[in-house]
Amino acid sequence: MKSNTFAIGLGVLGIVFVIIAVLYALGVLQLFASTTSGPHYKHAILFAVLAVASFVAANFARPKMA
Amino acid sequence: MGLLQGATELFPVSSLGHSVIIPSLFHWGFKQSDPTFVPFLVLLHLGTAGALLVLYRVEWIAIIRGFFTAAVRGRISSEPERLAMLLLTGTIPAGILGVYFETRIKSLFASPYVAAGFLVVNGILLLGFELLRRRAERRAELHSKTRVEQEQSFAEAERISFRAAAIIGACQALAFLPGISRSGVTIGGGLLAGLRHQEAARFSFLLATPVILAAGLVEIPQLLASGVPIAEYLAAAVLSGIAAYASARFLLRYFRSGRLDPYGYYCLAAGLVSLALLHFGL
Repeated sequence: MKSNTFAIGLGVLGIVFVIIAVLYALGVLQLFASTTSGPHYKHAILFAVLAVASFVAANFARPKMA
Repeated sequence: MGLLQGATELFPVSSLGHSVIIPSLFHWGFKQSDPTFVPFLVLLHLGTAGALLVLYRVEWIAIIRGFFTAAVRGRISSEPERLAMLLLTGTIPAGILGVYFETRIKSLFASPYVAAGFLVVNGILLLGFELLRRRAERRAELHSKTRVEQEQSFAEAERISFRAAAIIGACQALAFLPGISRSGVTIGGGLLAGLRHQEAARFSFLLATPVILAAGLVEIPQLLASGVPIAEYLAAAVLSGIAAYASARFLLRYFRSGRLDPYGYYCLAAGLVSLALLHFGL
């Protein structure tokens, strides 16, 4: 599925994941974490990986010039 | 414990199950409820991940290079690039399930009885995977060929579909249940996706490495802060790595023509015997 709209959507999703990763790393976000205080590095790494995957998928979805 | 964990991690017999059952049976001084138990196991897993990195060092360099090349280009044009993207696809569901459910599931089921029960289930699963594989071999009319020829008729890891990679990755979450083997379910998943046994094992080992490594590295600060005898734990991690390396070499050779059956029967027998021993307090 190659379209600019889809690629932009995935890029935006990637940015959202980066923000969530930073919030988990700083301990601001505690959503679904096992403890209610402090940084959650596992969650931060997960969202960083999801962000990378989204950016890669965005690049794959972008229509290429021949 | 290091040797036990390293040897059982890559064999499809559940290292977690053995780590829960054997200390209980032999009355070793490990308490599964102890806050240092999980970080200790994670450190042993780091030894395993290190062994896998050493074993596949050349392949990992090609995979990492392939990942960056394909990611920047936005197109897959070589086998290492495809394998890199397959591993990323398989790692994401395992990562999500691991981060959000691993601790809860492990603490819920960290009992020798439960582990022994799931070991029996693991045995049934392994035998089931082989049953389905034999059916596929019969459909492809491979029964008259030798085992090595039969295996050659199936695919290499790079040929797997992205959907299959994601499903196999998600199957790793089953291994949070003590007694269910991570390598068992991922090798089994690979077989169902049409891979050769050896390739299913290779894909399983490659898929396990980033998750085990990331989970281990994140637990290190907690382990250091917990005041455990770190030198002894590190020695156990090294032993775990040595055992894992030897196990991986053995399994890759074994799966050229071998099947999951012996491990399935072992898990059935070990699970049932453990249940009996635990029940009668022997």
